[in-house]
Amino acid sequence: MPAKIIEGRPQDGKSSDLVQGTLEMLILKTLALEPMHGYGVALRIEQISDGVFRVNPGSLLPALSRMERGGRVKSEWRATENNRRAKYYLLTASGRKALTSETEQWHRQIAAISRILEA
Amino acid sequence: MNWLTNLAAGLKGLFHKQSVERDLDEELDSYLDASAADKQSAGMAPDLARRAALVEMGSRNAVKHQVWSSRWESTLDGLLQDIRVSLRMLTKSPGFTAVALLSLALGIGANTAIFTLIHQIVLRDLPVRDPQQLVSFGDSVGAGINGGVDLGTNRMFTYDFARQQEKNPGPFVGVASYFSGLNLVSVRSDAKGKDQSVTQAEASLVSGNYFRVLGADALLGRTITPSDATTLDGNPVVVLSHHYWQQYLSSDPAILGKTISINGFPFAVIGVMPEQFNGFKQGSGLHVSDFWVPITMQPQIMLQPSMLVPRKYYFLHMFARRDPRVPLATDQQWLDQQIRNYIRAGEGSVISAARQQEINRATVQLMPSAGGVSQLRAQFGDSLKILMVVVVLVLLIACANLANFLLARAATRQREIATRLALGSSRARIVRQSLIETLLLSFAGGLLGLGVAFAATRALIAFVVEGVNYTPLSPMPDGSVLLFTLTISLVTGLIFGVAPALAAARTGAASSLSSNVRIAQGSGDRSSRIWPKTLVAAQVMLSLVLLVGAGLFLRTLQNLQDQDYGFARTHLLLAEFNAKLAGYQPNQAPALNQRLLERLGSLPGVRSVALSNDPPISNDVQGDSIGIPGYVPQPKENMEVTLNRVTGRYFETVGIPIVAGRAITPDDSATSLKVAIVNQAFIRHFFPKSDPIGHTFTIDGDSFHGPWQIVGVARNIKSESPRDETVYPMVYFPLTQVSPMVKDSSGSGLVGNQNLFVSTIELRTTGDPEQTARELRSAVASIDPNLPILDIHTIQEQVDSMMSDETLLSSLTSIFSLLALVLASIGLYGVMSYNVVRRTNEIGIRLALGAQTGAVRWMVLRESLWLLGIGIALGLPITLIVVRVIRQQLFGVGAVDPLTFAVAIVVVSGMTLLAAWLPARRATRVDPMVALRCD
Repeated sequence: MPAKIIEGRPQDGKSSDLVQGTLEMLILKTLALEPMHGYGVALRIEQISDGVFRVNPGSLLPALSRMERGGRVKSEWRATENNRRAKYYLLTASGRKALTSETEQWHRQIAAISRILEA
Repeated sequence: MNWLTNLAAGLKGLFHKQSVERDLDEELDSYLDASAADKQSAGMAPDLARRAALVEMGSRNAVKHQVWSSRWESTLDGLLQDIRVSLRMLTKSPGFTAVALLSLALGIGANTAIFTLIHQIVLRDLPVRDPQQLVSFGDSVGAGINGGVDLGTNRMFTYDFARQQEKNPGPFVGVASYFSGLNLVSVRSDAKGKDQSVTQAEASLVSGNYFRVLGADALLGRTITPSDATTLDGNPVVVLSHHYWQQYLSSDPAILGKTISINGFPFAVIGVMPEQFNGFKQGSGLHVSDFWVPITMQPQIMLQPSMLVPRKYYFLHMFARRDPRVPLATDQQWLDQQIRNYIRAGEGSVISAARQQEINRATVQLMPSAGGVSQLRAQFGDSLKILMVVVVLVLLIACANLANFLLARAATRQREIATRLALGSSRARIVRQSLIETLLLSFAGGLLGLGVAFAATRALIAFVVEGVNYTPLSPMPDGSVLLFTLTISLVTGLIFGVAPALAAARTGAASSLSSNVRIAQGSGDRSSRIWPKTLVAAQVMLSLVLLVGAGLFLRTLQNLQDQDYGFARTHLLLAEFNAKLAGYQPNQAPALNQRLLERLGSLPGVRSVALSNDPPISNDVQGDSIGIPGYVPQPKENMEVTLNRVTGRYFETVGIPIVAGRAITPDDSATSLKVAIVNQAFIRHFFPKSDPIGHTFTIDGDSFHGPWQIVGVARNIKSESPRDETVYPMVYFPLTQVSPMVKDSSGSGLVGNQNLFVSTIELRTTGDPEQTARELRSAVASIDPNLPILDIHTIQEQVDSMMSDETLLSSLTSIFSLLALVLASIGLYGVMSYNVVRRTNEIGIRLALGAQTGAVRWMVLRESLWLLGIGIALGLPITLIVVRVIRQQLFGVGAVDPLTFAVAIVVVSGMTLLAAWLPARRATRVDPMVALRCD
């Protein structure tokens, strides 16, 4: 399901579809640095991935809503740096735990996949 | 706790949709702002940055929709929306909705009603600990007192055998016993204060460990324990049933320790049982125990000398609690061994080889009895199971009708569905909405059905129990009944909803949106045409099965009614009375009987009057074995005859013809020669070749020893079950000639003979016997106001009551099969009318091209005839299988009765043709111009 609503943009002819289930992990990682509003999250993912991943609001906002329902993030309205109001998302304790375990799992999978590819 | 916050947030989303929407809008605005600001800072012009941000976001509504659909409440919201739409659709076609609800309410109601009875009569377990461990010794349905038989015959046991098992239960956890019948007793309650009126109640005699083995505890006080059944005449305690305590003792909370007087003897109340508890045996006949008394109080309760003497009276039923670790075969083996040992110990010192073999074959089958033993179950169980199948068939026919209506409607809604598909609705959503509509119908129908079931069950219970004043049966649905109704409603909705829902989803978007919808429907795909016809053919088939069944049951009832009973079934009134309950002693009985005969004989409109121990026909007769001097019985020949003691004018009162010799007359007195009348079956058995008149015989047992001289032969009558076609040898002898004294139970002294009492009054009337009932009552009251008249009914009512299960079965199957037939006809009419409407164009063209109206009519009729033919062709073999199953229930009519089959086929065909004729006639009225012009 998530793979369908996450849209990566092909760049340099390389496919960059997000692997299924990774969007939430990326959002968790982004929010682990500091609380952020929706656009901030999208921007940060794009910047850090050097523009490989671009997340549009049609995928980002449902994902945030789902995670908020799941208790992994919570939200509050705050003033932005240029004095506008925006909904900021904060990582909860269970979100932090989920990030750790998902990251570990991800590393295990990557390691396994690379071993297979290099064999 | 996550799901809790999730739930709260979801509910907030549902009920405060607008604020959630505003929230989302605001977030999107801020997202746009941030995006635009970012682009501006990267050097874009403000308006370009804004536009780029908008483009990046895409459709604002699509984003909002995606967020909304990611939450669970969106599904619920969609469901609620579907329900609202469905309700609107249903209210838009009130006619269809009403018909659908009516047929569902009737169908589901009938199912619920029959299930309620099955649940209560057949399925329910006793309200005791681990009821599945209980086994009864034999089926224990009958009741009575046997003498001179082997142990276990008629599942009857003696007191000494029961005691022996109670003390040493072998592999069982416990073995208990109870008197097989109930005892009518008169009760005066001291607890009620001033009101000391005498009432009658049914008492049950039980062994001391009865409640312990049963695993039943008292609601108040305690139950009877082994220490309450130690000495004969010495344990005057009583445990009350809940209904008796409530009805007659106003639920007195301080009842424990108080005394009630039973048959004039004081008994201390030691406990009250819970409401659901009715004992191991659910009444004898339709009666229910009002209280339980230790078996050692049998002389006081039965007003008869002790029957607890060894090896004499076989009157107890027994049951046991099994140890689940012991295999049933071990228990069975042990029981058979006990029975054989007991019989063997009663034989002389030398036992012949043949007798030895016979003893070795003696057995009583252990029967699982989690539900106890029930007369009602024995009588109505099979009928109820058949009725359950019948009502399920009726419901299936109703389902087929609704499926057809909905299919037709789905066809007319093709355009709407195509539009929705074109606008992006998913097929799943359309199927869901269609199913929701049918489920709404079926659940509403189920709800109405509960009401129908309540009324129907109440009527059925009233019929089944026939005016007994307390019955444990209740029309109130309990948990399992509600679950049943819920399930059947759901299944019904799915059965009739799936086909239309799938048909709706198959609708092709493109073709149905074209302007020529009429043609698209008219040519419809094969499957959409085959469905309705299949359903109609199935309805015809099921109707045929039901009609044949109803026909066979009706003929059975009619055969039972019309057979020759051997006595006159009009102008005869029967009354049941009990002088013992009014405190009469045996030596007072002859005078009382004489006064009754004189007083009743002088009533206006009474032609003659007689007293007898049993009415001419009843379930409950007295019998004993006889000896005839000079007659050598074959080994194991059954020498038992049915006995009835009667007064002088019995034969003319009841209307039994005397075929040889003379009848008993009032001149046969205590001092004259002891005479007897025998029936033709008696002659056939004992005197096949010689003239019986003048021969004598003796009756075993002390009460009526004789010798009796045969002075006349009476015609055979049906004296027991109307279904029983064998006539048993029977002996009538004068009540006045019964010996006044008999030996007491110890065999040393003499006591008054209880058999001087009789319990039935027969009145032959000149007019309607029911008119005489009131005069009979007041005449008896004028002799002794305390003398209880227990029941008054006509002979026809007596006969009818003995076939109430047949009446129930035949009348209900008839009603249900007619209902089924009407439903099927409506179905056929609907399908055919719809076909004609659909083919209006085609018919118009045919007529315009010169087709004759007769040919057009035939074209439409032919289709119905095909369906009828297929339905009957499939229905006949199924019917032949079904009638095999119900063969046991029939009487005087073969399972494959040509007349019944012919009538059923004619009725089905007639109704089908009528239902098809109307649309066919309408087809010929199609005006070609109108048909071609429209659309």
